[in-house]
Amino acid sequence: MSECDFVREGMPLLLIEALDPAQRERTHQHIEHCAACGDQWSAYRETWDVLATLPEVEVPAGVKTRFLESIGQDVEPVPNRFAPARSRRYVSRWLAEAAAVVIVASGAFYAGHRTMPMTGNQTPATINTVSMAPYSIAESRVLPASEVSPNIEGRPNIENVSFTDTNPADPDIDLSFDITSHVTVTGRPTDKSMVHLVRYVLENENRVMPSRSRAIDVVRTLYSQPGNADPEIADALANVLRNDSHEGVRIKAVETLNRLPVSTSADTRQALIEALKGDPNPAVRIKAVEALANLARSGAQFDSATLETLRQKAVQNDENVYVRVKAAEALSNIHP
Amino acid sequence: MRVARAPVVCAAVALLVSANAFAATFTKTETFTKNLPLEIVDSVWIDNPVGNIEIEGGDSPGLVGKFSKTVTGDSDAALKEGMEQTAISFEGDRNVRLIRTILPRVANEHWTSVVSYTLRVPRTVHVKIAAKLAGRIRVANISGNVTVNTFAGGVVLDGVTGPSIVEITNGRVAYVYRQKPSANAQIQAVNADIDVITPPDSNFNWIADTLRGDILTNLPVRAEFLGNAFHGTVNAPGGPTISMQTLLGNIRILAAGGDARLLQSVRNIAVENPQHDSPMGSSLMMRPAKRIQLPISGGPFDFIASVASVDVGEVRGWARVQTAAGEVKLGVVYGDCNVTTGGGPLDLGDIMGTLNASTDAGDVLVRSARDGGRVSTAGGIIRVRYTAGPITLQSGGGDIIVSQAAGPVIAETRSGDINITADPLQRTQHLQAHTEQGNIALTVSPRFAADIDAIVVTSRPDANAIRSDFPGLTITRDVIGSKTRIHATGKLNGGGDKVELFAEEGDIRITNVATSPVTVMGPP
Repeated sequence: MSECDFVREGMPLLLIEALDPAQRERTHQHIEHCAACGDQWSAYRETWDVLATLPEVEVPAGVKTRFLESIGQDVEPVPNRFAPARSRRYVSRWLAEAAAVVIVASGAFYAGHRTMPMTGNQTPATINTVSMAPYSIAESRVLPASEVSPNIEGRPNIENVSFTDTNPADPDIDLSFDITSHVTVTGRPTDKSMVHLVRYVLENENRVMPSRSRAIDVVRTLYSQPGNADPEIADALANVLRNDSHEGVRIKAVETLNRLPVSTSADTRQALIEALKGDPNPAVRIKAVEALANLARSGAQFDSATLETLRQKAVQNDENVYVRVKAAEALSNIHP
Repeated sequence: MRVARAPVVCAAVALLVSANAFAATFTKTETFTKNLPLEIVDSVWIDNPVGNIEIEGGDSPGLVGKFSKTVTGDSDAALKEGMEQTAISFEGDRNVRLIRTILPRVANEHWTSVVSYTLRVPRTVHVKIAAKLAGRIRVANISGNVTVNTFAGGVVLDGVTGPSIVEITNGRVAYVYRQKPSANAQIQAVNADIDVITPPDSNFNWIADTLRGDILTNLPVRAEFLGNAFHGTVNAPGGPTISMQTLLGNIRILAAGGDARLLQSVRNIAVENPQHDSPMGSSLMMRPAKRIQLPISGGPFDFIASVASVDVGEVRGWARVQTAAGEVKLGVVYGDCNVTTGGGPLDLGDIMGTLNASTDAGDVLVRSARDGGRVSTAGGIIRVRYTAGPITLQSGGGDIIVSQAAGPVIAETRSGDINITADPLQRTQHLQAHTEQGNIALTVSPRFAADIDAIVVTSRPDANAIRSDFPGLTITRDVIGSKTRIHATGKLNGGGDKVELFAEEGDIRITNVATSPVTVMGPP
């Protein structure tokens, strides 16, 4: 049985969340990589969604009996282990939906195979063209052995090893482990996957590199060029500015925001306002007000709440004089 | 040969006409008057976002208003829409009249509208005005309370004898007292010049506060600075209080009919005749604000100002700069350099003598401190490109980066990374780095000799560590409360001067410069 057949057989169970976790993960991983199975899965889900919108109709007793007999089940309803407390009416609905799924799956299987030449010998289905799936950076993954290169490069650190056999009926075994691997992703700064990755690096405190100050330096160099500007990077920096407890990092985040050509989104501006209002580090407040002043000079329109914040900051007697002057200068460039 | 020029000229005219027609704007003005009953002790509230407002007090009861609505659009349809969507609403009753201009919440890019109000009201009424972009707001001959609030524009209070409050962000404020001030007045501005013209024999208390502007008068004033503000009495003590605050503008009080050439800065008066000894921080605000840009100072450079921007290319002697706030940039200083500012970035070049630089807020960049010294900021990044003498660097929050340390370094930050690269020619030197939240990276040459004492205190011992390119360090781990203390000790190259490193919630890396990775992008 090919991997695709295995996955497709499990799709109805996946749909009703009856697969065990390992199989579920394996199925999802396969769907993510295999375009054909991905399409099949989408069709299942659409059908399932449509079923959910249909009015509930009680299955006639005779039909139900014949159906259950035809699939070799007792007529007595089997207790539903997923929802033991649910009503009998719900069980019958579940059975009806399951039956519909089986019918749809059978129909899809028939439709998929009726154009194949009928031969006496069973031949495994083959996929002629397989598009290269994107490499997925995931917290955990399940891979069939056939997708793992037999060459182990270098000496990666493998820990927490366990052997399991989720399905004793088949000859497969599962080998699980944690691995620390070093990944180098090559691409242009504007590639969407690179932007997502950079955002992840920026927003995950201390987990990704020893110095996020350094990461922000690199981001500033890369993304302050007009051609590389990306609002997602600005949003990530805004989040760093809001949430990071490391003052040096916050200073660099706001400094970088000030240099990005796309720092005019409402979220970014709000982060600057919040930093100006309440950041305990005066250097952060200085750079936030300078960023707002730059926005004002470039003709950005400010709402009345922003104007009021700047005004309050300018007249706040216990604020650093330099911050007050900069707030006043920002206001002088605003023409509402 | 004769050239038929008429068709060319016609075509040119047609083109010009069509271009003008294409660029044309349409303007329409609608004017009307309205009479409303109003009692003599009642209130008038005006809310007109864009346009002039003129209110004149008189002896007749009732309110007489003339309203002018001007709409400019880029098409007939836009003009029509603008006229329809600019409405003047008359609300309230004979006790409180509210007249306001109603505009769409979101501005339309195809048309703009300006509404002018000219009102005649009983002189005793209370007036409250709210505006946004006022061309001019003039309130004259009113003895009731007057309140004006606008973002921008010119505000003139002429012959207002009742209490008044003006709040304005950008523009200009002028008070003209026709008789001696008899009620309190309060003006709060951000970027506005404030002028008050008053009879020369007026008595009042005067509070003036400007960060960057000057305070001038030609009236006899006894004054002192309390904090940032000037407190004075004009002529004899007593009378109402006129309080003025503008951050970037000037404040002037002139005697009506007096000689404007006799105006003098009360800051200068206060500096020349200090009332009492005050700490330097507060007395700095007495000094006038200055902006100085000088290529070369032939000798020592001594500069004191309140809010200042200082940029000197070369100082052929020692330098001393003290400001309450502002950027300071000095290129080359041949002697000692002392810079103190209440806030603002410092950019210091090649300092030949001992450096003492301090700011209450902002980054500090030192290109070269040949004799070492001390640099501090209450919050900001400290970058020292080169230091030869012993130097102490302190940040209240921010990274500290020393690119080439040829002398002992003590670096401390409350929250930030510390990166120190020792001069490759240094065989040994004392280094001390302490961060309460952040990483420490020390880069030294392969021959560098030192006694290492490095400590990391962390709540995530799996993530934070001490890493060294040099072998021979002994690392121990202790659990102290909820945190783990990682302690590395040992001798590099047989031992030398003490290197003490302490990082909380961060890493310590000691890198051998020969094996350090090549960086594509250097620090800014």
